[in-house]
Amino acid sequence: MTIARFRAGALAASVLVFPALAACSSDGGSSENATAVAVTSTADACELSATTAPAGPVTFTVRNDGNETTEFYVYEEDGTTIVSEVENIGPGTSRELSVDLEAGTYETACKPGQAGDGIRGDFTVS
Amino acid sequence: MFANFLIGLREGLEASLVVGILVAYLARTHRRDLLPKVWLGVGFAVAVSLAAGAALTFGPRGLSFEAQEMIGGTLSIVAVGFVTWMIFWMARTSRALRSELEGRMAVAVAAGGTSLVLLSALAVGREGLETALFVWAAAQATGSSTSPIIGALLGLAVAVVLGIGVYKGALHLNLATFFRWTGAALVVVAGGVLAYGIHDLQEARFLPGLNTIAFDVSDTIPPGSWYGTLLKGTVNFSPRTTVLEAIAWTCYVVPVLFLFWRSVRTPAPRPTSKPTHPTPDAVSV
Repeated sequence: MTIARFRAGALAASVLVFPALAACSSDGGSSENATAVAVTSTADACELSATTAPAGPVTFTVRNDGNETTEFYVYEEDGTTIVSEVENIGPGTSRELSVDLEAGTYETACKPGQAGDGIRGDFTVS
Repeated sequence: MFANFLIGLREGLEASLVVGILVAYLARTHRRDLLPKVWLGVGFAVAVSLAAGAALTFGPRGLSFEAQEMIGGTLSIVAVGFVTWMIFWMARTSRALRSELEGRMAVAVAAGGTSLVLLSALAVGREGLETALFVWAAAQATGSSTSPIIGALLGLAVAVVLGIGVYKGALHLNLATFFRWTGAALVVVAGGVLAYGIHDLQEARFLPGLNTIAFDVSDTIPPGSWYGTLLKGTVNFSPRTTVLEAIAWTCYVVPVLFLFWRSVRTPAPRPTSKPTHPTPDAVSV
């Protein structure tokens, strides 16, 4: 019983510590020197304030101006491998996506309605 | 507002159902004294999620996508373990009921107070961080519009009300029926949580096969529809399911459901001579 108790206690502690640890180990890049890109997602458009950025941390601020819940993705050049994503962007809300991007070509996508391939665009990091 | 309402509902529903069943179980087995442990777990999960979500929303650092998916995926798979434990713990009680040894029921119920705290914390905390990030984003939007936060909170409130409904309904069920159906329902819920966890780990590229799809019925059951929301919120049905998710779901649900049914249908296996007086922590797990 003592061992079981200990194990349960350890698990409880890990549940508590896990998010805190993850928050510290974030490689999302700090906001000071990150390139800021504003994204506006609507029912039929996905507008980015810039489609190029220098290599390094990029912060996408995704605003949902549509009526449906949307998601925003950054894919690798193949258009299928997810580099980073943010889900559950309700209408009228904004969510940030911070990601470290190396030089290369990427694809971005807004997914109003949370399904399908989404509205794609190219994103170049140099 | 409706779309925000649906997100809130979806995020809150499963946790609310699991906690509703757990509370009903404790009430039916006359162990309301253990309820504080459930509320402790729920409160702990809500507090940690809201705090972490606020730190990430308003603080200087965001959470990397991989880290968030790893948290969601790992917590989900750990939660499956705890819900499975809950299922068989209930099955054991159900068996004891059939053997009509009242004392045994209390013994089975007494299984681990700490486990109860953890079970409740995981049921709520599994999706807690993502829900908190969503709620804080809605709160942040209040400068331009209050409708997102109102929708989000209404959705969560309706999820809680539905959980209370499950609890109240379960109070009126015949006890054997209660165990059988809540147990079977929990198996399906846990299978969905497992598939969800697998999907998170696939998105984080910790597991392969994100684009190897078993079926895609997004056109028939759009994720943004109210029925898509209910299916996602209760049994974690994903209209676009990967092969690995489908395999994991099947490999969990089929054997566990079989073992559960066999377990609740078999009469008590070991009717020992005298039922000893139960002490609360006798069978601590």
